[in-house]
Amino acid sequence: MFTRRNLLRLVLFVLCALAAAGLMPEAWRRGSVLLPGLSPLLSLGGALAARAAGVLTLLGLPLLILPLFAGRFFCWRLCPMGFAAETVSRINRRNTGWIRKIPFVGKGLALLILGSAAAGWPVLIWTDPLSVFNGFFAAARQPLTWLSAATASGFILILLASLIVPNLWCHRLCPLGGLQEWLSQLGKSLRSARCAKEGDEIPPLLTHARTGRRVFLGFALGGVSGSLYRAYAPRRVTTDTDCGGTHSCGGRHGHGPGEGEAGQRRRMGRGSGAGLPIRPPGAVQQAFNALCARCGNCMTACPYGLILPDLGTTGPDGLFTPVLAFRNLNPQQEQFCFQECTACTQACPTGALRPLTVARKQQTAIGLAHICRNKCIAWKKGEYCVVCQEFCPYQAIREVERNGVMCPIVDADKCRGCGACESQCPALPIAVTIRGRDPQTVLAHPSPALHT
Amino acid sequence: MKPVKRRSFLKTGVTAAGTALVQTPLAAADAASPAATVIVVHGTDIPKMLEAGIAKLGGWQAFIRTGMDVVIKPNVAWNSKPEQGGNTHPDLVRACVLAAEKQGAATVSLPENTCHPEKATFQASGIAAALEGTRGRLYRPAKQDYGEAEIPKGKIVKRAFVPKDILNCDCLINMPVAKHHSGATLTLSMKNWMGSVSNEDRRAWHRDGLHQCIADINTFLRAKLVVIDATRIMLTKGPQGPGELAHPYEIILSTDPVAADAYAVTLFKKTPFDVPHVRIAHEMGIGCGDLAKIRVERVEA
Repeated sequence: MFTRRNLLRLVLFVLCALAAAGLMPEAWRRGSVLLPGLSPLLSLGGALAARAAGVLTLLGLPLLILPLFAGRFFCWRLCPMGFAAETVSRINRRNTGWIRKIPFVGKGLALLILGSAAAGWPVLIWTDPLSVFNGFFAAARQPLTWLSAATASGFILILLASLIVPNLWCHRLCPLGGLQEWLSQLGKSLRSARCAKEGDEIPPLLTHARTGRRVFLGFALGGVSGSLYRAYAPRRVTTDTDCGGTHSCGGRHGHGPGEGEAGQRRRMGRGSGAGLPIRPPGAVQQAFNALCARCGNCMTACPYGLILPDLGTTGPDGLFTPVLAFRNLNPQQEQFCFQECTACTQACPTGALRPLTVARKQQTAIGLAHICRNKCIAWKKGEYCVVCQEFCPYQAIREVERNGVMCPIVDADKCRGCGACESQCPALPIAVTIRGRDPQTVLAHPSPALHT
Repeated sequence: MKPVKRRSFLKTGVTAAGTALVQTPLAAADAASPAATVIVVHGTDIPKMLEAGIAKLGGWQAFIRTGMDVVIKPNVAWNSKPEQGGNTHPDLVRACVLAAEKQGAATVSLPENTCHPEKATFQASGIAAALEGTRGRLYRPAKQDYGEAEIPKGKIVKRAFVPKDILNCDCLINMPVAKHHSGATLTLSMKNWMGSVSNEDRRAWHRDGLHQCIADINTFLRAKLVVIDATRIMLTKGPQGPGELAHPYEIILSTDPVAADAYAVTLFKKTPFDVPHVRIAHEMGIGCGDLAKIRVERVEA
C-alpha cells in the first residue's frame, strides 16, 4: 500500500491537513490558502465571478496547464482528497463494476461551475474537492458540535461513497477531476492533430465536434443557471425580533427578552444576535453565498475564533458561510475583530473575501453597534460603566452626561461594527449588539491611527 | 503574602530596619503629623527619577531583598504607543525590573490581563522591548494562572480571580499610568488592579457598582510600593486614547495608594473626592485621600 508514490501523497495529505487545520507554525499559517487556491474552479472561477483577479488567481494556472500534457497527474499523484478517497476505496474490493453504469457527472459539474461563474453567480462551487478537504480539517479543529460535524460532512460523504462504490468520487463525481479530464482530452486531441499533419492518423473529427458541442452546452447551461441564481437568489432570513421591552431603543435586535449571558453564549454560531448577519471584512457585496466555497479557511485564520459557520441567517443558500459572533466560548480571549488583523481576508481562495490592507480594513464597516438603553447599565441604572466606549478602537461611542454619569451613544459614521463593545458589555442581558452592514461600507472617518 | 518566606525573612533580622523606614510616616500618623507621604519627582530622565524617589522612601532595600518573588503591575492594557500615554512608560518598567534584579529578586513577574491582544499590546507599548535582556516576565495570565482570592473586607466584591503570581509574591509593586477614564473618571493606582483580575470579575464589577468594587479589591491587594507614571497624562478619550495629552513630567511614589491617587488627581485639575473610588477608599480607611493630611515631598531629578 505504501509504495513510494503513496508515501509522497501521504506526506502531502498530512501537510495539507495541518495547513487546513491551522496547525502550521505561525510564519507558514498563511499557506492555508495554497491548497484550495490550486483548484482553478476556486481561484479562476472565483476571479471570473467576482470580476477581480489578484495574485492568488495565478495559483489556479498550474492545474489548467498540467493536464494538457500529463492528464490527471494531479489527481493520481498529488491530490489529498483523492488520496483519502482512493485509500478508502481499497477497502471494498467488490462492486467495482457499478461504476461503469454511472456517467462522469464531474465533467458536467466543472462546466456548470465555470459557466455560472462567468455569469457572476457560481453554482455548486463548494463541491470542489480541495475546498471539501480544507473544510473538513478546518472543522476538525473546532470543538466537536453537531455544527462542526455538519460542516465536515462533505469529506465524510465522499469517503462513504468511496466505500460503497469504489473510486466513485475521483472517477465520476469530482468536478476538479472532470475539469482535468476535459483538459487532458483537449491536450490529446491537440497532439493527435499535430500527428495528423505527418499523415499518421486521421483525427476523429466527428468526435471532436461532438465534444466541442458538449463543452459549449455545459458551459451555456452553467451560464443560464448562474443567471437564474442571480435572478432568484433566495432572500436572506433575518432574525429580527423585538427587543422585548417597551422602550425607546428604536430598533430591533435578535436576542430574546430576559436572556441571560449563558443563553446568549448558547446562541453562538447563529450570528451575533443582530438582525443582519455580520460578514468577515472584505466580503463581496454581491453573490457572497454563491462565491463562498465553504473551505473554512477564514474561520481557521481568525486568531480570535470569531468566525463561525452560519446556520440559515444568511438564507438557505448561505448554509455554512462565515458569519461573525462576538461572544464565543472563551471569556479570557478577545472577542472582537481586532483593528490590525486582516488574517481572514488573506485566506480566501475564491475572492469572496477580498484581501484588505490594514488601512483599508480599518475603514471598512462590517456592522453597526446598537445600544439598547433599557438594558444599558449607564442609561438604565445610572451607574458608571461605558466599557463600550473604553474598548471602542474607533472612538465611535460618544458619551453624554446624565445625572453625573456618562452614557454611551453610537456614532454611525464612525462605527465599524468590530464588536469590541458587544464583546465587553457587562450588562445582563447584554445591552450592545452589532448588526451586520450589507453591503459593507467604507467610512470616510479616519481610524484614530493608533499605529501609523 | 507567603507566610513561610516572610517568617524566615524576619529571622534574618534585617527587616527591622527596612520596616521601620517604610512605616515611619504611617506610624506617626496621629493628629498633628501627616497621614501619608507622597514623593513627587519631576524630571526627564525616568530611571534617574525613579532612583531619586526611591531614595526618599528609604532605598530599594526597604522593599526588595534577596530571594524575593517580585511582582510589578504596570498598566499595559492597550495597543498604543508609549508617547500616547495609554500604557505605563517602558523606561519606568525597565528601570524597576533592573532595580529588582539588582536587589537580588528571585523572580520578577509582570502579569497583565490586557484589553487588546497581548502580542500586539506588549509590542506596541514598548514594554516587551524594554524587558529584553532582563529577567522580567511579562505575560497575560491564562485560566490556570488565576487563583481565587477571598476578600473579607470587601463590601460588594467578596471573592475575585487574581493571578497566582500576585497572590504568592513577596513584594508587589503597583505601577500605573495616570490617565482619563470614561467609566471611572480617572484611572490611577487603585483602578490598576482591574488589569489583573479575570474578565468575568471585570464585567461583574461594572454591573455591581464600579467604584465600590475598585475600593473593595484595594482592601485585599495592597502594593508595598505605588509608582504612578505621570510623565505624560491623557486628559481625554481615556483609557484607550489617543486623546489630548499633558506633560507634567512627574512620577509619584508612595506606600499609600489612596494618597498617591489623591495627589495624581490634582494633575487633572480635579479634587481627590471628584473621583468616587478615591473618596470611598478614604472613607473605608484603605488610605488617606485628604490632601490636607498628606505630606507631598517634591524632588527634582
